[in-house]
Amino acid sequence: MTWADLSLIAPELALAAAACAALLQDAWATGPALESRSRGPAAAWIALGGVCAALLLLGVRPAGAAQVGFAGMYVRDGITRVVDLAALAAAGLGVMLSPPYLERFRLPAGEYHALLLLSTAGAMLMGASRNLVLLFLGLEMLSFPLYVLAALARRSRRSQEAGLKYLLLGAFATAFFVYGVALVYGASGTADLSRLGRAPDVPLLHAGVAFLVIGLGFEAALVPFHAWAPDVYEGAPMPATAFMSVIAKVGAFAGLLRLFPQALPQLAPAWGQMLAAIAVATMILGNLAALAQSNVKRLLAYSGVAHAGYILIGIASGGPAGSSAVLYYLLVYVAMNLGAFGVLLLLERRGEEADRVEDLAGLLGRAPWAAVVLAACMVSLAGLPPTAGFIAKLYLFRAALQDHRVALALVGALTSVVSVYYYLRVASVALSAGAADAVAVRHSRFAGVGLALAAAGVLWLGIVPGAITALVQQAVQALR
Amino acid sequence: MSGEAIAFYVLAAVTLGSGVVVVTSPNVVHSAVALVPTFLGVTGIYVLLSAEFVAVIQVLIYAGAITVLILFVIMLTEGGTGIRARQRNEQGAIGAAVAAAMAGLLIAVAVRTPWARLPGTLPTYTPGAIGQSFLGPNLLVFEGTSVVLLVSLVGAIVIARKEE
Repeated sequence: MTWADLSLIAPELALAAAACAALLQDAWATGPALESRSRGPAAAWIALGGVCAALLLLGVRPAGAAQVGFAGMYVRDGITRVVDLAALAAAGLGVMLSPPYLERFRLPAGEYHALLLLSTAGAMLMGASRNLVLLFLGLEMLSFPLYVLAALARRSRRSQEAGLKYLLLGAFATAFFVYGVALVYGASGTADLSRLGRAPDVPLLHAGVAFLVIGLGFEAALVPFHAWAPDVYEGAPMPATAFMSVIAKVGAFAGLLRLFPQALPQLAPAWGQMLAAIAVATMILGNLAALAQSNVKRLLAYSGVAHAGYILIGIASGGPAGSSAVLYYLLVYVAMNLGAFGVLLLLERRGEEADRVEDLAGLLGRAPWAAVVLAACMVSLAGLPPTAGFIAKLYLFRAALQDHRVALALVGALTSVVSVYYYLRVASVALSAGAADAVAVRHSRFAGVGLALAAAGVLWLGIVPGAITALVQQAVQALR
Repeated sequence: MSGEAIAFYVLAAVTLGSGVVVVTSPNVVHSAVALVPTFLGVTGIYVLLSAEFVAVIQVLIYAGAITVLILFVIMLTEGGTGIRARQRNEQGAIGAAVAAAMAGLLIAVAVRTPWARLPGTLPTYTPGAIGQSFLGPNLLVFEGTSVVLLVSLVGAIVIARKEE
């Protein structure tokens, strides 16, 4: 290891340092008491400092040729840059939106922020993997904190159940991933992703790759590995749900990008078919199941499944067009999904989460800005102009058409039409008159800034997408 | 059939057989104790692959420490040793069918793959060489694993600590 290696992972190091600082600050402020009494925003400020430092370290490094470190395991190139940006945006918004909730439900702030930061670092490692072993480690570093975050509300049986369910199924899926790594290694003699392209085309390689898809597909909530998502999303404390809904997708799709379009272009006909089939099943099932939901968390869980299907279109199409569309969609998804969850985090129904659709009634009268942000995010999730969701879907469908996958684009467009119904139902309830008396709106300046940033992202990426489009296209230049 | 192949099949049978006991026995203590032959069977396969160091660690950590830890947990849980629980539900048949299909697929794949015979000898997996690799080419993975362990520790404390 050299200083050059260390400087490559500087953003991850900043996050890890901030995570340790948040834990230590919490321990210091708590003293000998069993439960943390420091409900102040100190941990949130430390976490936010870590995220900003990581963003700064990301920004000062000139965008240029790919740099490889740690004996060829770690690569910092354009894709790493965009994945890091998406992961850090998720972490930053996650930190800003949660303090009111953490305080109200007495969740341990130090641990929450430390786990959030370490999970982010895991997703960033996945995006920078040039080796299957590092990809596996990133997957573990991403998912372990999420298991704990899901079970963080110790007084809630549903939260405990969610954590246990997520842990057991996640461990099962990870076992498949490790088996896949072993099979790929057996077939090609290397775990180095940059050398997989020259691997002999033997059945064992195909079996290994299929197992890798199970592990990553679980994290991304692709059908048929999605069964955990609604229950875990519903049971987990809402800030944890919000964060995991985006960071797991960022990590998993970064891994899929590294694996398929980048490492295995020679097998594109084989995996393209497989991923296209999974994408179609995911889009159809996710959108149809979301139609029937009356709980917003479950609705957003199925919406997350559906969006995983859309993003998979880009991976299945492969090539620069598909890959850049995936990266763009990840950035947009972080902003619009966290914006929607952020509004829900402000609400409270008699000491509980306000997670039913009807709890949103009359929001416009009491918190007009929050209602507008929620509506904008819902319009964006549905993929309507002038929001970012529209542009992002356009890029994905264009990539599918360029790759002559008309059926994929058609299913994507049709299911998007279906999704308009349930997203706009939520938006119309929020914008309607009438009031759900039991629901209180908590105002918080910290969360307000976070919501404003998310909404600005949704509109900015939708109206003037030029700068970010250039960034993601530059990121995938190296792809064939 | 060579002696090595016979040894492999015997070890694999021991591993699989006791593994089935682990996931089917209604007695939680039986399940825990059946882990021992499972781990020892895997140890034997490591020895066959001339990975002696990993084999020793497997015995120490898994067959020794982890099994004992699990037994302690059962003992310290209220009514732990008396727990009788059915480990299967009505979806057992579906699960078995999927497992059988997957096993058949993997066997077919393994049989149809032309296994390359590379020249040369195996590198020596001595503790020294493994340590060098941890602090050399695999440093990032080694350090990253410590972060994952930190997360597990924090998680265990956060979930299990006493109510105030």
